Amino acid sequence: MNPRKLIALTRAGIMESLQFRLGTFCTLIGNLLYIVLVYFLWKAIYASSGSDTVNGMTFSDTMIYLVLATALFNFLEMFIVWDMSRSIQSGKIILDLLKPMNYRRYTFWSYSGSHVVLFVLTFIPTFIVVMIITHGAIPLGFNLLWFIVSTILALVINFSIEMLVATVCLYTESTWGINIVKETIVLLLSGASIPLAFFPEKLRRIVSYLPFRAVYDIPLSLLLKKNTSCEIALIGLQAIWVVVLTAAGIIFWNISVRKITVNGG
Amino acid sequence: MADEAIIMKKICKDFKVLNRHEGLKGSIRDLFSRDYRIISAVKDVDLEVKRGEIIGYLGPNGAGKSTTIKMMTGVLEPTSGEILVNGFVPYKDRTRNCENIGVVFGQRSQLWWSLPLIESFKLLRDIYMVPKKEYEDMLELYASLVDIEPVLHKPVRQMSLGQRTLSDILAAFLHNPKIVFLDEPTIGLDVSMKSKIRDLISGLNREKNTTVILTTHDMGDVDALCRRIVIIDKGLKIYDNDIDHLKSYFGSYRTLKMKLGDDSWEEMLIDEKTTDIMDVITKAQKEHRIKDIRLEEISTEEVIKKIYEGESA
Repeated sequence: MNPRKLIALTRAGIMESLQFRLGTFCTLIGNLLYIVLVYFLWKAIYASSGSDTVNGMTFSDTMIYLVLATALFNFLEMFIVWDMSRSIQSGKIILDLLKPMNYRRYTFWSYSGSHVVLFVLTFIPTFIVVMIITHGAIPLGFNLLWFIVSTILALVINFSIEMLVATVCLYTESTWGINIVKETIVLLLSGASIPLAFFPEKLRRIVSYLPFRAVYDIPLSLLLKKNTSCEIALIGLQAIWVVVLTAAGIIFWNISVRKITVNGG
Repeated sequence: MADEAIIMKKICKDFKVLNRHEGLKGSIRDLFSRDYRIISAVKDVDLEVKRGEIIGYLGPNGAGKSTTIKMMTGVLEPTSGEILVNGFVPYKDRTRNCENIGVVFGQRSQLWWSLPLIESFKLLRDIYMVPKKEYEDMLELYASLVDIEPVLHKPVRQMSLGQRTLSDILAAFLHNPKIVFLDEPTIGLDVSMKSKIRDLISGLNREKNTTVILTTHDMGDVDALCRRIVIIDKGLKIYDNDIDHLKSYFGSYRTLKMKLGDDSWEEMLIDEKTTDIMDVITKAQKEHRIKDIRLEEISTEEVIKKIYEGESA
């Protein structure tokens, strides 16, 4: 695969998302409000528990985790399901299928630019703010490297989940409900809304076998050095999910795209 | 390289459509229905297109034009028949086929909406791996054919429909494809923009020897660009010959529309060879008050009707 095509798509994506500055600022403000809400909610939870640590996490541990999870969510969030269902309904998908590139690859690299922008504009500022407020509670060392590798894998896993759900659009044409279900499941089971440490033991064991925790929980655990198993094992787990979900996504897409090519979309 | 850009042999395309029932009860029943019917959109179409030809591909709405084009581009798989585009079977080799074709679908744009046109060009250049030199030559050619400067640095979303269509056509030719499909490119444009776009298409065809498949409802486009016409109706190819031949059918026909005193439009098809239009108007004026008069070129629908009548006569 020639990198020229991919770099060009990333570059255009960066330029496109920079066009919508106001939207980016709104995201930042929305985040701030959400974090304030999370702050008071968890403060109340800790106050009512009567102890400083709940499930092995102190209040500040939980807050750092959730704030970074929110930042990570903003950076990883994709709208493939919305965009694809819209382009199927309008028929624009045909123009994308007519690019001299594999559709999946084309989609991934078209979105990559906006992730770069969001990483710089939402994740890095949040990270810096957390560092200042907590006076350096996040360790700086090899964990940053693990975190970056792990986040890239998380991005690919999240993309694969999105693509799998988006492919369902080819059958249902309406996607609103499916998308809401997907978003709720991912946010809950990935540890983005509630740290996995707070889950009941049984549920946590089930969740650890699912791909969702590879999206938020693993990168954050690696960053905050809260991982119980070694780094290689966690990255390896992510890598397995990348392979499995990519393969499943490609197969499902190739079967489903025939709905367009055979029955005319 | 073979002399034929496109070869289609006995191409058929059927669609499976769910039989929908009326009312709420019917809608609920449809959820579980397996009651399908088959619609044949294209039936036994044979077509050979030579390199460098501009073909006018005509037919009324729903005749199967877009379906045929989608089969040629590879997004639709024919139900039966053989199809070769630039030597490839398009639906099997879609990605490779795409490198050698360009597409403009009238109402949709492939350009990056919020970016200036030049950025879309650069992106397409990289996606299609166009060498730098060829890209620059192409831009030079564009500049010689149309006034490209005012649109080049304008974001696509700020363009007028005409400018956007023009840009989309330029984008489709950018990687110097062997075949370009233009699906109703002049729809909704004013007269001067239409003629600009026609000049552009014929200029690019001349300079690059690009094969052009043009679908349109505008006989003006056909007149200005095509030497060969293919007409399809209800999925069947009903005409395939040069334009002069077709002109013997419709060349002297005009549609005369008159708005009468009671605000109703009277419409008639007039053969100027046999009837004098002024006579008709004078005669009508004696009986009615005429508020407005329009004289229009014959529409594709009427051409098709004429062809049917001609064949049956």
